[in-house]
Formats: sequence, structure tokens, C-alpha cells
Amino acid sequence: MTNMNLYSPGDKVFVYLCMFLISVFALSTLYPFIYIAAISLSTGFEARAGNVVLTPVDTTLAAYEYVVAQREFWVSYRNTFIYTIGGTITSLLFIIPGAYALSRPHLYGRRFWNLMVAFTMWFNAGLIPFFLNMRDLGLLDSYIGIMLGFAINGFNVILLRNFFEAIPQSFEEAARMDGANEFQVLWKVYMPLSKPAIATVTLFCVVGRWNGFFWAMVLLQDGEKIPLQVYLRQVIAQLSDDEEFTATLLDQAYSVETVTAAIIVASIIPVLIFYPFIQKYFNKGIMLGGVKE
Amino acid sequence: MSGVQLDGIIKRYGAVQVVHGVDLNVAEKEFVVLVGPSGCGKSTTLRMIAGLEEISDGEVTIDGRMVNRVAPKDRDVAMVFQNYALYPHLNVADNIAFGLRIRRESKEVIASSIDEVAGILGLTDYLDRRPADLSGGQRQRVAMGRAIVRRPKVFLFDEPLSNLDAKLRTQMRAEIKRLHNRLGVTSIYVTHDQVEAMTLADRIVVMHDGRIEQVGTPMELFMNPVNTFVASFLGSPPMNQVTAKVEKVGSDFVGVFAGNRLPLARLGDLEARVGQDVVVGIRPEYVTPATDGVKDQVRIELDLVETLGSEALLHAMLADAPFVIKADTTTAASKLSDVTGFTIAPELIRIFDGETDLALAGQDRPA
Repeated sequence: MTNMNLYSPGDKVFVYLCMFLISVFALSTLYPFIYIAAISLSTGFEARAGNVVLTPVDTTLAAYEYVVAQREFWVSYRNTFIYTIGGTITSLLFIIPGAYALSRPHLYGRRFWNLMVAFTMWFNAGLIPFFLNMRDLGLLDSYIGIMLGFAINGFNVILLRNFFEAIPQSFEEAARMDGANEFQVLWKVYMPLSKPAIATVTLFCVVGRWNGFFWAMVLLQDGEKIPLQVYLRQVIAQLSDDEEFTATLLDQAYSVETVTAAIIVASIIPVLIFYPFIQKYFNKGIMLGGVKE
Repeated sequence: MSGVQLDGIIKRYGAVQVVHGVDLNVAEKEFVVLVGPSGCGKSTTLRMIAGLEEISDGEVTIDGRMVNRVAPKDRDVAMVFQNYALYPHLNVADNIAFGLRIRRESKEVIASSIDEVAGILGLTDYLDRRPADLSGGQRQRVAMGRAIVRRPKVFLFDEPLSNLDAKLRTQMRAEIKRLHNRLGVTSIYVTHDQVEAMTLADRIVVMHDGRIEQVGTPMELFMNPVNTFVASFLGSPPMNQVTAKVEKVGSDFVGVFAGNRLPLARLGDLEARVGQDVVVGIRPEYVTPATDGVKDQVRIELDLVETLGSEALLHAMLADAPFVIKADTTTAASKLSDVTGFTIAPELIRIFDGETDLALAGQDRPA
């Protein structure tokens, strides 16, 4: 850390103020995680009574026991993994070559194609036309529909394109002199040099897919194909209206609140496990993609 | 014959033409250096030979084959880049072997090639290191290793030493020359450093504004520059150029400038220029402090003396132009700044036309 003794009093006040504000922001983003985890480990009675603030009250694993006993939970969990892994691979298969092509100075109509990709970041057809399009393509209620329909994201393409553009041209020229063709230049030179950017795009894809809720809800009706987030919504909607389930509060340790929280915690865990492995690339990738060295 | 021939090479970017019909014949095993200031078209010319730039007009022939429409990989040339272009994710061995792997050479061939090249370039102990863990000189050697491992017909060097410090540059320059002597591969080398050009080249090509100004051996260009541009580009410090009026005294000619009367060689071309201005080119090395009583002294008021150890650079302004003299410090001792009289042998003076900047005929000296 910079030696604070070298700062003027005004600068010190500014630095402390920044540190205070960023601490408040960090805690405000951390608190929901702590709160949900505490709710999931508390009894339904305490959760509904609003007694859980920071730590579990009357600690119990009853909500988790209920959740893991539900077949639909495991089906939707599996589906989320399918959509996340399959969808991310599909996305990378389109985004990486697409970004590489757009970064090539000699691409015919380069400005036009770049504009078209950027255009999709601000404008789209809207909910109904997109739904009708997917329906007419026979992609409703299918794994392929979700994986293919959202394969390309303009922001990710442009992020990776910018990174590719920042790689000195002499790497490509050296590879070409060595006999590499276009695919080999991408595979053997650009991709290894772009690990941070590709890791960043991968993380964006993974998190986007993992948390994907809205379009899955619109496009998937089959209970065997819905992802965890849609299942979570169904649980909240169904159990809240289910008088029989609500009545269990009297003799069971779980409730709608604790079951919901347990599903949320279960959905967060894989991302928490995955993130540390990719975090170092994530920070670096954003910086390198944005700054031309 | 692994020579390279350029016939009327032209490069245009849209409406802008940057290389204007370059003709050059590089013989097999020859080391040719393209030299010139930034933007003179030397790198563009090299890149057209490599196939990295499209040729707008003209023909490039390598080893007797016209290669205008041949991909870089199929031209059998290797290039060393200014920034080395070493792949940072690969170690030294993999960098050297990259081209061989792309060409699907067998593992045995690749392994023996790496060993051989590493031995030649002194890289055997560094084969497992990544480029980031190497010094500038070592990186430069890896870049050369990557080029020579393929045994190409032609080596192309694009300012390969410009990122090194002065000491390392001198060292690597000698290594490149030794390597060329050992491998005997036709080499074309681009630099803006005239010292590199003078020391490395069998022949130097001086370029300016997309055109070749002069081609010749280093000493030919140093002794007999065809125009003031070449004269000012080669030599360190460059040739002094003073505008002088030609006068005839009896059968001799003198150049008159800043109150001085400088004896000139008896050139037939000077007869027609009596009374006109010419550019008098004087190498800093050919000006010597005069001893008392010597005739035809040139009076120069020095304004700065730079001592470089065994020699000193004496600076002055002469006829509104900077004038530099290179003097021997051992003979002139510490009194150089007091010297005001200098002598210049007429046969060592190069005379250029005052309007066209071209050297007058009949004054070439044997190089």
C-alpha cells in the first residue's frame, strides 16, 4: 500500500472516504449471501418470524434434507449443468472464431460486420418475435434451443475481438512465415496468448448460463428440462400457495423460506467452487482486453 | 541460385504510393543491407519479399521463381522480426521447433534440429526457459534460431537489433556476421543504423522516399556517395556539407565560403560551374588541425569540443551550416578548442551540384 505519510491531509481524507465507501459496498454485496445461508440453516418458524438477521437461529438441516429428497431438484440441477457446460462450449465455439475473424484487418466488410455485432448489444427483436422464431425453428422445449439460441453475445465477441486486436501482428506474421494456416494461427498462437480473455469470456458465459432464468422459463415447459432457477421459481410459487405445505410449518422444521434459501445456496455452491480457479484470469482479462499495449 | 531479384517493385496503399519501382539483384550467399531513414520504404520492401505485403506492381523472384502470388510459407524464406515475435507461452525449444511442428517433421528430426541450432547459437542451457526469462540478447538468438532451423533459402532481418542496448547490439552484430559466414545463406537486412549497415553488408542499398538512392559496397558508398543524401546518411558523424562559390585561380579551382578559400580538385565538371554555387562535402575525419605556416588553411571558429576518449568531435557553424571535425586527442592534446586553422586535402573533398545535389563526375576514388 502507498505510504500514507506522503499524502496531504486532503488526500488522506479522500482516501479514507473511498475506503469507507468501498467497504460499505463490499459488505452490502456480501450480506445477502450470509443472510440466505443463515435462513437456510434456521428453522422455518424463526425464518418466517423474521428473527434471522446474520446467523442461523435454532440451527437445522431440515430444509436441505427436504430439498435433496425432491427428484425435481436433482433433475433441474442436472439440467443446469447441461445448459451451463453445453451452452458455454457452444458459445466459445462461436465467439472465439467470430472474434478472431472480426479482428482481422483484411476481413472483407470488416466495419459492417463489427457494426452488426455491436448493433445486437443495443437492439433486439423483443420477446414475442424471438419466441415465435424459436417456435418456428422447432427449438422450444429442447436442450439445443437453449444452448444454441443464446450462443453468441455481442459484448463477449467485442471483448475478445479487442484482445485479439491488441496482440502484436508480428506473432501472426511469424507463424505464417513458419507455415501456419489461418486455423493454426488461431489455435496455436492467438488462443494461448489470449487465455486471460478467453477465461473471462468463459466465466461470463458460465455465470450467465448458470443464472439463466427468464428465457428458460419462456422457452421450456417440460418439467424434465427446466434448469434450477426455473425450478426455484416453481418452488416459491407452488409452495407459497400450497396450504398443505404451509401447514407443515407447525410440525416440521422447514418452511417455504428455508427451502427456497436452501435451493439458492445449492445453486450458488458450484459457482463459488469454480470462481477461484478462474478469478486470476478474470481480473487480468478485463484489463488486458480494454487496454491496447 | 538462391538469389533474390526485385524488378520494378511498387507498393501502393490506396492512392498513396510508398515504394516507387525498386530494382535490386541480390546474389546467392550475399548479405545485403537496406538502409534509410524511417518511412523510406525499406521495411515495406522487405515485407513484400517475405510475402507479408501484397506487391502492387513489379516482380519478386526468389531462387529463379516469381513469387508475387506465393504464400509466405511457400517462399522458403525466414524472417527475424524487430520485436522478435517469440511466442511467450512456449519455451525456447518449442519456439525453435514451431515451424518444424507445423510442417509435421518427425520427432527425431525436430529434436536433432533443436540441438544443432541451440549448439550454434549457444542456447543449449536455455531450452526449457520461456522468453520472459531470457535477456534481450538471448531472445534475439532464439529469434534467429527459429529462422535458421528451417534452413531457408533466404534470411530476412527487419531491424533485429534495434531493441537492444548499444553494447549488446555490437555483440549481436558480430554474431549475425559470423552466422552468415558459417551458413552462407542469402540475407537481406533492414536497418536505419548506418553502423550496422557498414559493418554487416556485402552491399548496402540506401533508400529514400521509396526509391533506391545508391547500391554498392560499404566503402564505395562511404567514399563515393552519388548525392548529398547518401553522403549525409553514411558515416558517423555524417559528411559536412558547405555551400561554396567556385572560383578559378590559374588552372586551379577554389571554393569560397565564409571568408575561406578551399582548394578543390581539378575536375572537368567544375569549369562550367565557375561563379556558381556547389555543395562541398567534407568528411569529419579528413579535416586536420593545421600546424603554423601551412598554406591553404581553413579558418573555423569552434564552439564546442566533445571528447570521446581517443578522439574528439569539434563543432562549429560554417556558412550557417553545422560543421563537425573528428580529431585525434593524442596529437592535439587538450588545446583542441583553441585551434582555428584546419587543412583539408582537395582529393578527399566530394563536390555536389548546388541544384541537383548529385555528385560531379570524375571524382570517384577507388574503394
